[in-house]
Amino acid sequence: MIIFIYGGSGSGKSEFAEDYVCATPFDNRFYLATMNSYDSESKLRIKKHRNQRKGKGFITLEHPMDVDEALAEIDRIKAPEFFTNNSLEGGCIVLLECMSNLVANEMFRDGLIMDETSCARKVLHDISRLNDSLETLVIVSNDIYEDGGQYDIGTKAYLKALGMINRRIAQMAEEVYEVVVGIPIKIKG
Amino acid sequence: MILIVGGSCQGKTDFARKNFPNAKYFNQLHLFIRKRLENGKEQAEILSEIKEEISEGPWVLISDEIGNGVVPIELFERQWREVTGRILISLAKEATEVYKVVCGIGMKIK
Repeated sequence: MIIFIYGGSGSGKSEFAEDYVCATPFDNRFYLATMNSYDSESKLRIKKHRNQRKGKGFITLEHPMDVDEALAEIDRIKAPEFFTNNSLEGGCIVLLECMSNLVANEMFRDGLIMDETSCARKVLHDISRLNDSLETLVIVSNDIYEDGGQYDIGTKAYLKALGMINRRIAQMAEEVYEVVVGIPIKIKG
Repeated sequence: MILIVGGSCQGKTDFARKNFPNAKYFNQLHLFIRKRLENGKEQAEILSEIKEEISEGPWVLISDEIGNGVVPIELFERQWREVTGRILISLAKEATEVYKVVCGIGMKIK
């Protein structure tokens, strides 16, 4: 089952997503981080998000690309030998944050620009694989569509790919929320 | 305190005047925050300045939502969006009512 959480920068969508996950009865909470830590600003952002998550019981998985590889990692962590008390039995919930980073990483990987349709197909394939194997997948994505700006070809392709993915995921999702000034507005489900 | 947000040119001020004619207005909060940031002020200072300003009387705060676009290249622009968002979240928590205005139509979201 997919839960989709959408909002602008600084809208409070991450906090809402974390609270949402923590309110579910699943024993195992995984945070699937997609941001690349390539500069000091992203490192700071990652640190901020880590602090925000502290004490909420998340196990962090980092996959800036090929997010379906997180499944193998989850299996390894869930293996009985990983924890002596076998504490990771029971259902899994994964919070993927954030789709906008993942799409950028996939699209511009290997220094190339993938075309938007191939990029969307690749990401949606990985997401479907994740969704097929997990009880609940919470996906956070970014509203970057309301500034009326005109952008170069690469950015336009990126906007289109992310837009296609957002629409498809919203279609697949059981619930969709738009977060505005920290307030979740349920727009589907 | 009542908070009204929305994109630019959505009729937020008209909505406020029509629905809360007897309140005091703090309009264009996002630009106030920008000016304070330009003067080197930090998020917490700006928030307390706003709170002090609205401590008495019925207030309506109006702000553009500025975080719904492509991440800007300039660091300052990114900080402005982030700080404005965080301040609006804090104010929304304290507000008795929050509205999002789209095409002149106010949706009560709190």
